[in-house]
Amino acid sequence: MNTTTAFLRKCLLAAFLICQVSVVPAETSPPDPLNSVMWKEMHETLLGGGPVVFDERVRVLVPGDAEDSMNVPILVDATALGNVSRILVFAELNPIHRVLEMEPVQAVPLIGVRIKVQQATPIRAAVLTDDGVWHLGGGIVDAAGGGCTAPSLGSANQDWASRMGEVSGRLWPGDEHSRLRVQIMHPMDTGLVSGIPAFYIEQLEITNEAGEVLTRLFLHEPVSENPVLTLNLPQAESVVVRGTDNNGNPILAQVRSGVM
Amino acid sequence: MMMALFQRKVLVNAMVAASLSVTVSFAGSAGAGVTQAEIDGDATSTDDVVSWGMGQQGQRYSPLTKINKENVKKLVPAWSFSFGGEKQRGQEAQPVIKNGKMFVTASYSRLYAIDSRTGEELWQYDHRLPDGILPCCDVINRGAALYDDLVIFGTLDARIIALNQDTGKVVWRAKIDDYKAGYSFTAAPLIVKDMVITGVSGGEFGVIGRVEARDAKTGKLRWIRPSIEGHMGYIWKDGKKTENGISGTTNATWPGDMWKTGGAATWQGGTYDHETDLIFYGTGNPAPWNAHLRPGDNLFSTSSLAIDPDTGKIAWHYQYTPNDGWDYDGVNELVSFNSDGRQLAGHADRNGFFYVLDRTSGKLENAFPFVNRVDWAKGIDLKTGRPIETGVRPGDPAKSEGGKKGESVFVAPSFLGAKNWMPMAYSPDTKLFYVPANEWGMDLWNEPVTYKKGAAYMGAGFTIKPLNDDYIGALRAVDPTSGKIVWEYKNNAPLWGGVMTTGGGLVFTGTPEGYLKAFDDKTGEELWKFQTGSGVVGCPVTWEQDGEQYIAVPSGWGGAVPLWGGDVAKTVKYLNQGGSLWVFKLADL
Repeated sequence: MNTTTAFLRKCLLAAFLICQVSVVPAETSPPDPLNSVMWKEMHETLLGGGPVVFDERVRVLVPGDAEDSMNVPILVDATALGNVSRILVFAELNPIHRVLEMEPVQAVPLIGVRIKVQQATPIRAAVLTDDGVWHLGGGIVDAAGGGCTAPSLGSANQDWASRMGEVSGRLWPGDEHSRLRVQIMHPMDTGLVSGIPAFYIEQLEITNEAGEVLTRLFLHEPVSENPVLTLNLPQAESVVVRGTDNNGNPILAQVRSGVM
Repeated sequence: MMMALFQRKVLVNAMVAASLSVTVSFAGSAGAGVTQAEIDGDATSTDDVVSWGMGQQGQRYSPLTKINKENVKKLVPAWSFSFGGEKQRGQEAQPVIKNGKMFVTASYSRLYAIDSRTGEELWQYDHRLPDGILPCCDVINRGAALYDDLVIFGTLDARIIALNQDTGKVVWRAKIDDYKAGYSFTAAPLIVKDMVITGVSGGEFGVIGRVEARDAKTGKLRWIRPSIEGHMGYIWKDGKKTENGISGTTNATWPGDMWKTGGAATWQGGTYDHETDLIFYGTGNPAPWNAHLRPGDNLFSTSSLAIDPDTGKIAWHYQYTPNDGWDYDGVNELVSFNSDGRQLAGHADRNGFFYVLDRTSGKLENAFPFVNRVDWAKGIDLKTGRPIETGVRPGDPAKSEGGKKGESVFVAPSFLGAKNWMPMAYSPDTKLFYVPANEWGMDLWNEPVTYKKGAAYMGAGFTIKPLNDDYIGALRAVDPTSGKIVWEYKNNAPLWGGVMTTGGGLVFTGTPEGYLKAFDDKTGEELWKFQTGSGVVGCPVTWEQDGEQYIAVPSGWGGAVPLWGGDVAKTVKYLNQGGSLWVFKLADL
């Protein structure tokens, strides 16, 4: 396993300290399979320079070509890893890198979501396991661009505020898990469009009937307008989706299981 | 497509509607917060400004003397801060300052946290406004309140937002009402006994005015007091909404159903007097403007309400313009002051009269005009407390030929008021009020009107005209005892900014022409001015920091005048918009 840390670099500069950590110096950090110009910076700023490994068990499914830069479907699946404490999804060449974070808690470490991309970019998922190591998977999506700096479609409609916060969705019972698909009406404005401040859902928590937290999500500006999320949760007849946006507007809805 | 599939059958229960106040769970609390005691003592503390009015009584007086008549000429900018963005418009805020942080609101429901030493931004909050907001009189905001580690302000879509002072993250947000019905909130909240006290804007849309108290930590409602008779007040006991008596007596001063859309919007900030333990909140005009549709006094429009903060009940009221037919809102601030051991309060009304009330009872002690021309009344009867009307009222459209337009009258002051929202100041040193007045009149006529939700509910037409060729604005030093104007400063454009006075013998106010000016508090002599680059319609404040006295004022022309000013437009046509904050201190030289 090849890893590197900011801490280590300080050790090397100091030159006299004995570093017991089994890591490789920054210059020989694991070669980025996506060969991204942003990787080093992402490693420092988003992952705090923590130990990383490029790991095929983190699957990031992205379209090769984005048909719609404002709605690029992605799926992150770290089920093969186990013991996942956090998932961080980021788009390296977006003006806002962070896309979302997920604390699986009781949910399967898997999430499907649609995102905005500003130009062709690596999209990566960093998955933190209990041993403190970030496991990375990713893919490159080609795109015409502009997804983050075009106004949301909803803002063109004068009435966008009246449906804001509406939740539609459904639970599908499965053998081991209940699959949740949910859409929340929200403009998810990036703040990069002239005259429209950043306005996006910041946090979502999904609880079961007993009030136990099943999973927590932290969304950022690049998640698409009216976010659509797919999650695999422990079996439940109904769940409550609760959250707020960065203006403090509430999201609260119960989603039930049902047969079509 | 998947989407289409699951949209066909929506298996979701909406649970949102009932939740009016939302606490955002992950915001932490850290550091020394602003205590209620500090807010109550704001008038005498000099190292901070933690309330609207520089003290809850609203005197806008600072005891600081470091900047004074002798050295004010050496006042120079310390720093300036741009609100940025492409949207500018009127900047009517009063900044608040605590622990080296300044919090100032700006047009379009924006809030900035700034390092008060360097002018560097710490964070900013841009409220995402829906397209359908209905602000009657520009997209302004008058300021934020501080409480504990929160900074709290109202928005044009009628929300109250409480943010963490350090991070700018939303801690709670409360919905006042439906912006589509015309509600908004632009005044600075008042903090009384650990509660946030707010009103509603939207008087031109037939909303019902009310004063509300919320728990300052959570935003949960504590009581609601409507400002139109006949409407039920509520108080929350152990979390339960309980009826708390209607305001006044139904139909005592309103005919038929007119009280149901009766206006009296509480669109200004209130003041609080700890000596009498009363909240003073002003109420706006009765709706619609056409007074022929609502014979009677129309309580509690155009009044000052004294509300008991513990019970949410009206202790007393004083109505300035019974059956207001000129849009002479009574919202202007009621400023507490003591004179010869008596607990009094001063109020400069839109209707042209300055009132002195006994603030323990609401009894009228003195009333006199503070502008040169008042047409609608000859005076105020000190015995009855009622105006002696002249009969200059617009004619009843129902009696006109065709019933479309009543007889037009010319009347002064205009509906923009002998004094509008811009707060005056009171100096306990000179015992004078410093009133930002305007001399203008209006042609006014009435038209038939019916209420429609979210539509302007006025039934009147008007155009404003200046009364003098050389000035509209006049900053006047008013003696509340004698009723004399001790001095005046005339200004070409209408005055629209707040006033401040200091122990250094100075009176500060801004002008639409862009100046912040300092006057001698005894003579009115102009001692200093600085051109800020855009019209000053904000409220100046002063505080002490690292041993030096500082003065801050927002700059940015706007407000109701350019929107409603009629014939005044030619005076203000070349005034450009802006959006910045200026901070001054004495030159080191």
